[in-house]
Amino acid sequence: MPLIGALPQPITSAPFVFFVYLVLILLLGSALASVLLRNTLYGIGAFAASMVLVSLLYLALAPFLLFAAQLVVFTTVSAAILIGLLRSTTGLQASSVGRLSPEWIIGVAVSAALFALLALVLGATSWPVQVCCGLSENFGGALSNTYVVGLAVLAVIFGSAALGSGLLLIAPTLPSPRGGGATTSRSPRGGGERSGRR
Amino acid sequence: MSAGLNLLLVASAALFAVGAFGVVARRSAVVMLLGTQFMFMAGALAFVAFARFGLGAQHSSAGAATALFAGGVAVAELAVGLAMAAVLYREHRNFALDADRG
Repeated sequence: MPLIGALPQPITSAPFVFFVYLVLILLLGSALASVLLRNTLYGIGAFAASMVLVSLLYLALAPFLLFAAQLVVFTTVSAAILIGLLRSTTGLQASSVGRLSPEWIIGVAVSAALFALLALVLGATSWPVQVCCGLSENFGGALSNTYVVGLAVLAVIFGSAALGSGLLLIAPTLPSPRGGGATTSRSPRGGGERSGRR
Repeated sequence: MSAGLNLLLVASAALFAVGAFGVVARRSAVVMLLGTQFMFMAGALAFVAFARFGLGAQHSSAGAATALFAGGVAVAELAVGLAMAAVLYREHRNFALDADRG
């Protein structure tokens, strides 16, 4: 009698296998595009797409809560931080189109329709979550019971990161030893000349 | 044709290689941070794969919990790293990490 029992079998359902292969190919392609593209904005777009694809993979392989966290929290936070960096540094401007313009309304309506369709398909068929058998364990309950210390540590890490990045952003710019900084200060040796090598 | 542990581990290794390439070969701080994110994602994907198909399936929530924590740490690292990139840009008007060399 084996000590650990039989391992779960690989997935052989044809549409599900096709789905996994398609997501993996698109994921690797978008990851490569993200690190190869010279345009930072396009790179960030490819990165956000790869995060969404990872969440789709989690939808098929992992508990639903992980998919939701990856899609709603990690993807949006990462993309928002990256876009905020671009807006504060390289002068990326906000859209000149007004919030109540027809373009925005049509875009929001199309997005809402797509999400409603996705929710309808998931609710009616449970595909591909249903195919991913063996996940009957309550992941939320396990998180709040077994991994409560990990969640607390994660909260501390989030707080520390927010505090650290905030302090970095509000700190005054240090003088550059080569003269490229925003402030001017005298040398610690007393002279005002820059002695850096060219 | 099937999708199992080997396929996901190969994909995880490929994703890690893409991230390592971004860290090693590119000079832009933003792209290097994206590379570290891909390396985090690759590790999390391997944990999820082991929890789904490997010995970790005995405790299926462990791999998913590890992936959740890895994602949280990756987002925190991204926030601090991008603040550092903003400071770098403020000083050198450039995201290149070796801009100080001239």
